[in-house]
Amino acid sequence: MSPSRIMYWKIEDIWIFYVLAALATVIFLTGLAVHIRVWKKSAGCLDIPFSKKGLKRTILDTFSGRRILQGEISAGIMHLLLFWGFLSLFIGTSILSVHHYVISFLKGTAYLVFSLSMEVGGIMLLAGTIWALIRRYIQCVPRLEKRLEDVLVSVWLLLAVFSGFILEGLRLACHQPSWGAWSFAGQWMGGLFSPSMAEAFYPSFWWGHAFLTLSLIAVIPFTKLFHIMGAPVSIYTRESVSPVIPDIKDGPGEFNMEFNLGDLIFFDSCMRCGRCVASCPSAGAGEPFSPRDFIQAMRRGLWQKHFPSGDIRFLTRHEESKMDESFWYCTTCRACLEVCPIYGAAFEAIIRKRASAMEDGVRVPKLLNQTLEKIFNYDNPWESSRRQRGAWAKGLDLVDLTKKGAKAELCYFVGCTTSFDDTAQGMARSVSKILQIAGVSFGILGKKEPCCGDIARHLGELGLFTEQMDNCLELFNKYGITQIMTSSPHCFHTFRNEYLKAPFKVRHYTMVLRELIDQGKLFFKKGIKADVTYHDPCYLGRYNRIFDEPRQIIRMIPGVRLVEMGHHGADSLCCGGGGGRMWQDLDGDAKMGEVRIREAEATGAQILITACPLCRIMLEDARKATGLNETLQVMDLNELVLQALEGADAQKNSNPDKNGIYSYKEKQK
Amino acid sequence: MKKIRIIVCAKQIPDPEAPLSDVSVDAENKEIVVDAPQVINPFDENALEAAIQLKEDTDAKITVLSMGKKVSDTVLRKTLAAGADELILLEDNAFEKLDSHSVACVLADAIRKIDKYDLVLTGRQAGDWDSGQVGLILGEMLSLPCISLARDIRIADGSVAVKKTHPEGYERVRARMPALVTVSNEVGELRYISRTRMLKMLRGAASISSWNSEDFDVACESLMKAEVVELLSPSDMGRDCRFIEGATADEQAEKLAAVFMELR
Amino acid sequence: MNEVLILGEVRAGSLDKHTLELLNIGKNLASDLDGGLFVVLIGDGLLAAAKEALSYGPDKVFKVEHALLNNFNADFWLESLEQAVKQINPKILLMSHSFIGMELGPRLACRLDTRLTTDCIDLSINPARGPGEDGLLLRTKPVSGGNAISVFKCQGVPQMATLRANVYKPAKTADSQGEIVDMAPEIDESIVRVESLEIVKEDVIALDKADVVIAGGAGLGDEDGFEILEDLTRVLNKSFNNVMIGCSRVAVDKGWISPDHQVGLTGTIISPDIYVAVGISGAIQHLVGMVQSKKIIAINPDSGCNMFKVADYGVVEDYETIIPLLAKKLEELS
Ligand SMILES: Cc1cc2nc3c(=O)[nH]c(=O)nc-3n(C[C@H](O)[C@H](O)[C@H](O)COP(=O)(O)OP(=O)(O)OC[C@H]3O[C@@H](n4cnc5c(N)ncnc54)[C@H](O)[C@@H]3O)c2cc1C
Ligand code: SF4
Ligand code: SF4
Repeated sequence: MSPSRIMYWKIEDIWIFYVLAALATVIFLTGLAVHIRVWKKSAGCLDIPFSKKGLKRTILDTFSGRRILQGEISAGIMHLLLFWGFLSLFIGTSILSVHHYVISFLKGTAYLVFSLSMEVGGIMLLAGTIWALIRRYIQCVPRLEKRLEDVLVSVWLLLAVFSGFILEGLRLACHQPSWGAWSFAGQWMGGLFSPSMAEAFYPSFWWGHAFLTLSLIAVIPFTKLFHIMGAPVSIYTRESVSPVIPDIKDGPGEFNMEFNLGDLIFFDSCMRCGRCVASCPSAGAGEPFSPRDFIQAMRRGLWQKHFPSGDIRFLTRHEESKMDESFWYCTTCRACLEVCPIYGAAFEAIIRKRASAMEDGVRVPKLLNQTLEKIFNYDNPWESSRRQRGAWAKGLDLVDLTKKGAKAELCYFVGCTTSFDDTAQGMARSVSKILQIAGVSFGILGKKEPCCGDIARHLGELGLFTEQMDNCLELFNKYGITQIMTSSPHCFHTFRNEYLKAPFKVRHYTMVLRELIDQGKLFFKKGIKADVTYHDPCYLGRYNRIFDEPRQIIRMIPGVRLVEMGHHGADSLCCGGGGGRMWQDLDGDAKMGEVRIREAEATGAQILITACPLCRIMLEDARKATGLNETLQVMDLNELVLQALEGADAQKNSNPDKNGIYSYKEKQK
Repeated sequence: MKKIRIIVCAKQIPDPEAPLSDVSVDAENKEIVVDAPQVINPFDENALEAAIQLKEDTDAKITVLSMGKKVSDTVLRKTLAAGADELILLEDNAFEKLDSHSVACVLADAIRKIDKYDLVLTGRQAGDWDSGQVGLILGEMLSLPCISLARDIRIADGSVAVKKTHPEGYERVRARMPALVTVSNEVGELRYISRTRMLKMLRGAASISSWNSEDFDVACESLMKAEVVELLSPSDMGRDCRFIEGATADEQAEKLAAVFMELR
Repeated sequence: MNEVLILGEVRAGSLDKHTLELLNIGKNLASDLDGGLFVVLIGDGLLAAAKEALSYGPDKVFKVEHALLNNFNADFWLESLEQAVKQINPKILLMSHSFIGMELGPRLACRLDTRLTTDCIDLSINPARGPGEDGLLLRTKPVSGGNAISVFKCQGVPQMATLRANVYKPAKTADSQGEIVDMAPEIDESIVRVESLEIVKEDVIALDKADVVIAGGAGLGDEDGFEILEDLTRVLNKSFNNVMIGCSRVAVDKGWISPDHQVGLTGTIISPDIYVAVGISGAIQHLVGMVQSKKIIAINPDSGCNMFKVADYGVVEDYETIIPLLAKKLEELS
């Protein structure tokens, strides 16, 4: 007898099975349809434009699980086991149906290969499930929650696979086929039963296994397992739906839809893996906010609004949906997007949520209310006056591009914070001096410089943002400005990526410095002997992928050694100043800046370098708050560069070593 | 329940938050020159917020009254964007620089023309002249029960219940409507009005009427201007600050402690 | 009728401190006018207070007494005051810019069809110029949050003003030859239109009674900052009477401290012997509340901040460093 399987051995009333299978399929498909319907209802449409890039990414991510592996190898392998185990069993079962109903071909070697793959698939799934349970309940990985749904779904899966093995074992125990070794796990399992016992138990286990697997399939759309279907769609739709910036010229009222289709699919597919929580600086500082909770609250809100019987995930439906003010906590640092397996941009959804809070007005915290009024009236969030905007430049002899006849190639866009804040003003002065040393023809906009709109944009005051964008464009046009350099990564990002059109070239000053060095216009004669560490500003690094330029510049300064913090590059930790957080009084256990400065301290560096006025202020503040005054200095990159070009005053007394390098330690004394 | 009609008096003033450096005194013309945009007096915004909160709880109609020689509706439309139903601008050359009594007179006549109302709200004072009179005089002129310095306002059964600031805490008071209440900042800041909402209000049709002295019966015998005899810059508040220095904070503290002992 | 009438306020049986300030300025005005100085007191059981008032040398003290006037109720008081003023018919009527004065002043002015100037810091008599102008009151008052000082002149009888607290020195006792005049107002329950249900006492402090005020602002960073200030207060209490905690409006807005501690335009206006501004930048609305203090000490790491421009002593330092050290040194010294 050639190896094969007897289908429905000892199973009577097989029609019951057919009914159950049909029922499971119907439930599954209905669930799926309900999801799609809710997406459509809440987004108003289901337009998902075709994208080759999206398709490629979806396939790669889904089958290789690379996104998950990247973050945490252990989780990645676990997921691969589950994914491939589940997939092979699913495909195997389908093949078996084809074999039974269409053409029978699973005989001999074909059957043996099939049987072996099923065996391996089953073992993978079993191992994956057990591993998942261990990670969640024994290892207690902090980002994993322990909700009813989590335990139920895993145990369900475990039972389904396990019962399959027992079933196989019973079958093999009775039949004792010669090819039994191909199903080694089942055979081992079969050894536990006597043939008569096996024969007696077989039917009930068969039905049990059938019931567990069919119900598991049916329940997919109704639990977090829905991500099996949703995640690929979410990965695909990322980027295909662009951010909403209202065109207020056509009259407002574009806001009746809070979220776009991409957001909704993302909410619906989030499986609560918590990677975003682990990377979120706000949650990390112990603030009462977590992107996952926000996403889940939005997901529940979505269902409550558009589905008559509320949340489709029946196991979590009784959790209250916290639609509170926690969305003001997000600094829009983008760290969560770096790690989310389904490319969920929690912060973008948060900005849209803020936008709707702006529209109803009542939920805007007082301080933000005042700040936005100030930005509107005075074009800056700091002072109720425009007058002092250019005051930092006193004595520097800079060109004011708004004066008659003034001309320069490059417009230095200083930005609000750099213009008004005492600490940050130093950055404006030092970068100006560097440009002067390099002989660059540049000018500033003085009193007339407007706000770029970053704060309004990321606080969700999109109408104000649009007005500011128009103001800026008009001003640049009026004074014929085509080349812009900014101090702040926020202005840089806003001009470069958020403006609907940008008929000018914008660079962050780190890019300009790098070019000047390359052109030989700047060279470091002096050198500084110090260990420094570099804090990547979110809007320079994660948003604009400028990780290397600043590091290259730092490395070029003779004597400086760059040491990295635990979190750096795309993984950098936010200082806590972005997304309008600077103008809010929200608190957690620690300040985000303090968490960051501790990390900098741990590197043993004497200087913490950053390249953003907000980081500069937040980190300086944190340094004071943590009492690290003696050990660590916070500097902006251009302040360090200027020191290396000029030799800091304090260093004049000390002698350079034989290489002409001043020791930083000495300067500290 | 019957609709409650609320009248809020709101004044347009130069932004009182403008820094000292942007304010100058023109002694010759006896005018204060403030280089700052016009805004709604913050306490009047508080009054408006109180009215909107009442409207959220009960069926209410809010009418905003604003008076001046020239009133900018771009500033005052904010009240409509915030939730007021109707804006009445009282504009006339004769309404320039009036004293508090005359301002109250004009407002009282306008309110008499409006005729039906349950509650009149004003800010406790305005950030330009800091007088704090108009509200209370208005109440007297209209023979209304007057409640000042409200920090919480509720309406029930034809009465208004108010928590008013009191030197020892607060006092709970109640009066039959119609009544007049002056509002203090404790009721809360006016909700944020987004630019889109504001622009919609600026571009769209809005319920705004403009009355001059002929449109309503300004019965005051004669309106009086506030007579400014002299306008001065504040006497130099500056003092010569002696900075207490020291090599260490400890030394500074020591010197500062000595100062305290000296002053004892 | 060249009399100056002042509305006296009684607190816990004796004259309020600011009434003494009124008595002082009233006396000056009365002598400029060559007229008498009258005091009117409202309440019930005022004899002791009336006698006390007499000791400052006014010509008459009117004692308006009625059982209904026991506690301040604006409706009863206004009616009684109106009757009294109509009877006395003074040329000038002054009140404190107090809780009572702020409420009664405008309403009474309306009833008497005259003009009131509130929150004055100086009052003088206009040297007669135009016809009918003699004896008009010149009212000096900060406007625009204190950014300018305006001198107003108004028509109407009586000439009315409310006086800002702590600007004038309190009157000194003088020979008392004056008399106490009893007045019985005609009032009854029916005139009340605003019903007082209860007064909810909050733990409020009388900042204007303080000799030393330690005030904290946004620079404290959080609520705990006030604990550091409390520690200093405790030490200072050994050397000074009445040391209290004040604050800027930002500290109130943030919910770190209750509003009764607020100094400034919309808080309390004070002039203690020593005012210590900790982490307060010196916005004009805050300055108006404390700039009259005898000595001002500012603690702020920002050497450019406005507070140093009005301060006598300055320490450019983080308060968390300096205040505990200061408390320690003071402890050693006292
Ligand atoms: C109509 C109106 C009425 C107002 N009425 C009042 C009023 O009655 N009273 C009032 O106070 N305000 C009032 N304001 C508000 C006023 O304009 C200011 O906003 C307020 O006074 C500022 O408070 P602040 O100085 O505490 O805060 P900020 O201006 O924020 O100043 C904080 C200061 O703390 C310093 N600082 C920071 N860190 C430290 C540290 N570690 N140690 C020491 N110092 C530090 C900073 O350098 C800064 O100077 C009013 C405003 C308006 C429009
Ligand atoms: S953007 Fe940053 S702060 Fe906001 S939710 Fe994501 S990780 Fe948290
Ligand atoms: S948002 Fe993304 S990273 Fe966060 S829990 Fe959901 S799936 Fe995971």
